[in-house]
Amino acid sequence: MSATELVTVTVDGREVHVPPGTGLVETALAAGVEIPVFCYEPRLGAAVGACRMCLCEIEGMPKLQAACTLTATNGMIVRTAQTSERAAEGQEATLEFILVNHPLDCPVCDKGGECPLQDLTFRWGPGNTRMTFPKRTFEKPIPISPAIALDRERCILCYRCTRFSESVAEDGQLVALNRGAESVIATFEDEPYLAPFSGNVIELCPVGALTSTQYRFEARPWEIQNVPTVCGLCPVGCNIQATTREGKVKRILSRNHPEVDEGWLCDKGRFAFTHLRARDRIADPLRRVRRRGFDVLSWDDALGEAAELLMQAQGRIVTALSGSETVEQAYALGRLMRAGLGAHTGVLPEETSPALDAFRLPLSAIRDAELEPVAERAPIVELWVKAARRQGAQVEQAGDALEGCRRLADKRNALGKSLRESERAILIWSGEEGAGGAHLAALAKELGFAGKPASGAFHLPCTPNGRGIADAWAAASDDEGPNPEPIGLLFVSGDEAAADPNVRALAERAERVIVNAMFQGLAVGWADLVLPGTSYLERDGTYVNLEGRLQRLRRAVIPPAPDELAWISKLAERFAVEVSPHASAVFAEVSERIYDGLPFGEVGEEAPLRTRSEAPAPQLPSEPAAEGKGLRLVRYRPLFSGPAVERVPELQFQRPAPEVELSPGDAGRRGIAPGETVTVTHNGTSLQLRARITKSLREGIVRIAAEHAGELGGTVEVAK
Amino acid sequence: MNLDAIAAIATEYPERQSAILPALRLAQEEHGGWLPPEAIREVADALDLAPAQVEAVASFYDMLHLAPVGKHMVEVCTNLSCALVGAQQVLQAFEEQLGVAPGETSEDGRFTLRAIECAGGCGRAVVVVVDERYREPVRPEDVPGIVEELKRGD
Repeated sequence: MSATELVTVTVDGREVHVPPGTGLVETALAAGVEIPVFCYEPRLGAAVGACRMCLCEIEGMPKLQAACTLTATNGMIVRTAQTSERAAEGQEATLEFILVNHPLDCPVCDKGGECPLQDLTFRWGPGNTRMTFPKRTFEKPIPISPAIALDRERCILCYRCTRFSESVAEDGQLVALNRGAESVIATFEDEPYLAPFSGNVIELCPVGALTSTQYRFEARPWEIQNVPTVCGLCPVGCNIQATTREGKVKRILSRNHPEVDEGWLCDKGRFAFTHLRARDRIADPLRRVRRRGFDVLSWDDALGEAAELLMQAQGRIVTALSGSETVEQAYALGRLMRAGLGAHTGVLPEETSPALDAFRLPLSAIRDAELEPVAERAPIVELWVKAARRQGAQVEQAGDALEGCRRLADKRNALGKSLRESERAILIWSGEEGAGGAHLAALAKELGFAGKPASGAFHLPCTPNGRGIADAWAAASDDEGPNPEPIGLLFVSGDEAAADPNVRALAERAERVIVNAMFQGLAVGWADLVLPGTSYLERDGTYVNLEGRLQRLRRAVIPPAPDELAWISKLAERFAVEVSPHASAVFAEVSERIYDGLPFGEVGEEAPLRTRSEAPAPQLPSEPAAEGKGLRLVRYRPLFSGPAVERVPELQFQRPAPEVELSPGDAGRRGIAPGETVTVTHNGTSLQLRARITKSLREGIVRIAAEHAGELGGTVEVAK
Repeated sequence: MNLDAIAAIATEYPERQSAILPALRLAQEEHGGWLPPEAIREVADALDLAPAQVEAVASFYDMLHLAPVGKHMVEVCTNLSCALVGAQQVLQAFEEQLGVAPGETSEDGRFTLRAIECAGGCGRAVVVVVDERYREPVRPEDVPGIVEELKRGD
């Protein structure tokens, strides 16, 4: 922006030039002056001026003003508490007022030591109290959900949490009841705050009123370390801080990447870390022994056993990957299997297509779009879509994804036509059968997105690093080989693969099975040899998220067993393949091949998005979807599912109920009322589920969470 | 409850939230003068909002009641103008006649007595609102007559 477009504001005698409309808090910051705030948080929408902490004197205005509610205008002269006695007095009075009923129980408060109220009181507060009468008391702490505790005595009614609930997550469940001095933060009828993003209110709270039940009394700020890393539980790859104390992860905080997550986390990413300490975590290698179950092995024996199994298979090996391995891990495994043993067959839970790279955009572009057809939902991406809708974007559900793509590609389709004309249109595909984004890339190409830098497409895969693994596995060798039949050995890498029914089916056909998993529940019964697995919080390396952004994973805590890279390296040695046990060295090798030699150290804390690249353009499959009578069943993987979530007590209330979701029209025609038990039938198999009417669902489609859908698939009929 | 009527109210406002207040008044009428949790849930469903959002509004406004009220509602203004001409004495007279404290409902469920803020009738203080109708000006000696009249009417 050129100087002519800037306005001049004087803050405490310092002149500063900022774009018009810049908030006064930011303007002062640009002048090197801090205006203290509690309620002000630009990510929550328009400022409300609730806490009055930011009082300033503005020349020409008779009374003190809440700086957060004002924006910079030319010639504005601002005096903060640093130079204005009136402002200082006002601020001190505000703090004294805020503290009237605050319990000042900082020594036993989780927030103590990292509390904005404590810090601002120390720096700007009156220093002593004139209050001699009893403070207001409440019952405390109130669990507003199994994961969040509310202490109403500490609450200063800044309304950050309720604004988040109302205008960011749009769940409307956390509100302020009553009025004035009687106001309290509450949920309806004390029901639990049941929403996928609820945990963000803990981090937003500027006092110790909303705290995490997992972190309660667990650590003090001076004895913790925050490790910057990325979340490995879904393909968004939110940037996080893992707070550790004495070698254990104690909580997960957001680490705002403005293009990826804007500082929000879903409750899975925030609360699921306790799966690291699950009761059935495997710490030692195990060997199946007839009639006795498992024997614990030493690592030397385990590697000997693994080498033996690999050798016996004579190359007839299939490697089932999870999609949660690091790039380095997948590459190392690829080197061992492909270069060392000539076993080139790898199985990923779903395809990944590089074709979408030509339409690459940061996730934040969703917010700024004007038009976006969406299929199904995903964490964080959902918040970006909501932000777009709030800014006036038209958001359309395409319903049945492949059919929707075909419809939109048709030149006569009205929505397709608007997409062609728009400069800022975005396609989002979530759910299976997306051919790894290839269908979507074909549609984006057909709609002419290639020449439009603000139009793009996102495919939401089901695994956190599917893309990185596909590339790394491919880069491990230039040779190819046939799929082995029969399978001599199935190597199962990671928990998602171990939990995948397709992988289990493959194991039926394999002579021997090695499982690398974190949890006993996933390894017993079918593995001949079990090698302990590690979590994303215990590994160094890199992940590629759904945007195609290469991000750095940092080891927050030491795993209970050596990490995968360490023993893959040892194992590879036995087959004359050199693979380093260090992520940095492995990355250097991978980077040479697929990331233009980018050094490991430059992957960065706040990773940039790589530029768009061309890939062969695919075609939309032309054959129409199999027409069937009845309703099309969409089996979906709910956010709160999977091996990690199953092992976290605080997340059990978030798991999906055994329900079938119907559109109001389909339910009406069948005389089904919400909450009724219905029978869902497909090919003679049937299931009893509770009916749920979802207004946003298209007619002709029903949805069931995969864990409750049993054997059902394709088209189904629903009846009372 | 009359969900269609609420849906009709909603169409008169640009945003659904704006329809909460008139919808709640309707719901309160239909639920005997107060808003049980089911009423709040019904309004929320009809307006496609979370029940908490509706409860937040219901708990903010004085004329919406979240606990059962008596058959008759007696509200005495105790704000400045009324206070200057003896609102406290009027309130006390009602307390004696009805046998309840402000904010309470008589045991037989016939009367609820409340002290309220300005009802907008300062020119003819003390204002007493009986079942949504103003009596003004009221003096302590008028109170037995008003109570007698209400009891007779039942």
